[in-house]
Amino acid sequence: MHIVVCMKQVPRDNSVKINPDLSINADGIEKIINLFDEYAIEEGIIWNEKHGGKLTVLSMGTDEWIEQMRRALAMGATDSLLLKDPAFANLDTIAAARVVAAAIKKLGDVDLILTGRNSTDDESGGFAPALARSLGWPQITYVGKVLDVDAAGKTITAERHLETVVETVSAPLPAVVSVIKDINNPRYPSLLKIKKVAKVEPPVWTAADLGVSGLTSAATIAQRVPPPPRPGGEVIDGADAAAKVKKLVDKLLENQII
Amino acid sequence: MPGVLVYIEQVDGGLAAVTRELLGKGKELAAALGGPLSAVVAGSGVGGVAQQAAALGADTVYTVDDASLSPYTTDGHVAAVKVAVAAAQPALILAGASFQMRDFGAALATDLDAGLAVDITDLKVEGGAVSAVRPSHGGNVVTTYNFPAGRPVVALARKQSFPEAQAGGAAGTVQALALGGAEIRTKVTSVAPKSGAVNLTDAAIIVTGGRGLGDKDNYYKLIPALAETLGGAYGASRAIVDAGWVPYEHQVGQTGKTVSPKLYMACGVSGAIQHLAGMRTSRNIVAINKDPEAPIFRVATFGLVGDVNEVLPLLTEELKSRLGR
Ligand SMILES: Cc1cc2nc3c(=O)[nH]c(=O)nc-3n(C[C@H](O)[C@H](O)[C@H](O)COP(=O)(O)OP(=O)(O)OC[C@H]3O[C@@H](n4cnc5c(N)ncnc54)[C@H](O)[C@@H]3O)c2cc1C
Ligand SMILES: Nc1ncnc2c1ncn2[C@@H]1O[C@H](COP(=O)(O)O)[C@@H](O)[C@H]1O
Repeated sequence: MHIVVCMKQVPRDNSVKINPDLSINADGIEKIINLFDEYAIEEGIIWNEKHGGKLTVLSMGTDEWIEQMRRALAMGATDSLLLKDPAFANLDTIAAARVVAAAIKKLGDVDLILTGRNSTDDESGGFAPALARSLGWPQITYVGKVLDVDAAGKTITAERHLETVVETVSAPLPAVVSVIKDINNPRYPSLLKIKKVAKVEPPVWTAADLGVSGLTSAATIAQRVPPPPRPGGEVIDGADAAAKVKKLVDKLLENQII
Repeated sequence: MPGVLVYIEQVDGGLAAVTRELLGKGKELAAALGGPLSAVVAGSGVGGVAQQAAALGADTVYTVDDASLSPYTTDGHVAAVKVAVAAAQPALILAGASFQMRDFGAALATDLDAGLAVDITDLKVEGGAVSAVRPSHGGNVVTTYNFPAGRPVVALARKQSFPEAQAGGAAGTVQALALGGAEIRTKVTSVAPKSGAVNLTDAAIIVTGGRGLGDKDNYYKLIPALAETLGGAYGASRAIVDAGWVPYEHQVGQTGKTVSPKLYMACGVSGAIQHLAGMRTSRNIVAINKDPEAPIFRVATFGLVGDVNEVLPLLTEELKSRLGR
């Protein structure tokens, strides 16, 4: 079977700056695989080891992302595919999903797409549903456990771990599945494997290759600012811990916080 | 004129708190748009819930009552809401930003070729156009998006962003719509409550412990006792979730839950940027840490420099006697 993992590169931490043109500036911050995507890659490897076939790591990004794609290959992905075009820069979630959907259609033989729960920078979580609907495929989001991928019967059964309930859901393949953090333990690639894939150049498909045009985001950015500082905090002092505790409780009661 | 459509989320046969918030905010936005406030409830046996929404200011509450709509599936609920969208022709569709609603909202927006704004904390309407404010990058960036008029927008709101609608005024009408045929491809075979599930995102008070608690036993000795005294839930930093002290369920932060309670108490938590991401919009923050330089103090409403081992038992006792618990 052919499993595709959608992978995004993100800055390791979010101490980003805002450029004068309101784009995000993450210069100088180390880039990593989006945390949730590591779990998606690991889950892909697990089922690829079971069923054989291809496991493609797919990114719509820039050359800078190739380093993370190689890491996915070192973990165990068998193929890679980079969607790269100036027209893909700064697209919103739904437009990005439409580009990826075009690539999935062009690949033609995909049975299962795995994504992360959300990206840790943009934090939308809209990508997997948008991709599923763009393809006309069913979706199972927030998966904390894949119970079975039945290659012959073409179904997937999984547990969705929501805030207060666990749903057991099955869907016919092909399907889109997004995964959460505690689904597995992503492996560390060995140095040997890292060396082996160090020079791999993923094939690149552009907007023209995909036949997508007129891509636009639905919204324009009117303002982008750091969060407002929280109103001045108050230090609770006192002669000893007991005095401080008393004062804190006074404050909480006075201000009707408790 | 097009107005606002609120997706009604149900909890135990009633309206979810976020739905009451959205009915309140929706009323204001509908007025600004010059259109009606409508709401839609999809499921099976939803008449009672529809009446509750009608009493909270929705002009029209559409019900799409069909056995195939319970439990929730993306296919079913997107199809049902599309029937209501066709009836109401809203400019703005509102739902909460829970996992289920993100599953739903992004799918609906894609089908409708609508704009999508996930996890918004504020919304405005000006000149018939919607603008939405959403934090990203762990709360370090706050972006205002302008959506053009004439194309619908699906906005998913973070809980506790708006005051809840209050009953009063004339009750709206309830109108039943038929689902028609919906192809539901996923099959839900069970829906089980999570054992010991804590819905941190619903809690009004959260007491969180971090590595400063020293070890697992100490965490369980000190944190739940304080949380219970306050009638709240207990949370954890990623450091101690990864160390196996506390289940992932309790993790607050960028890779855990985003919370915005009335009171957030951070005990022995340094306040790393990824932790702040999940709690900095809390209305009141109390930080207890032995290091006066800990970054958590920079977001604290009240900061207490001290040792958790000394402070927390005293605090629990003091609260018990003052609150009579
Ligand atoms: C991609 C990514 C995602 C992440 N996601 C999250 C997330 O979702 N949530 C999260 O929390 N973290 C997250 N982190 C981790 C984060 O960077 C920090 O490592 C983590 O929050 C630290 O947890 P802590 O505050 O409990 O521990 P520490 O940073 O070790 O802080 C312990 C604090 O306790 C204080 N202390 C020690 N002893 C005492 C005592 N006796 N009394 C009082 N105070 C004491 C210390 O002064 C210190 O400030 C993420 C990191 C990355 C890279
Ligand atoms: N540009 C992209 N290329 C590949 N995958 C992506 C991209 N953007 C988002 N994804 C996938 O979608 C998931 C959720 O992202 P989001 O919905 O944007 O928060 C990520 O964890 C990735 O798996």
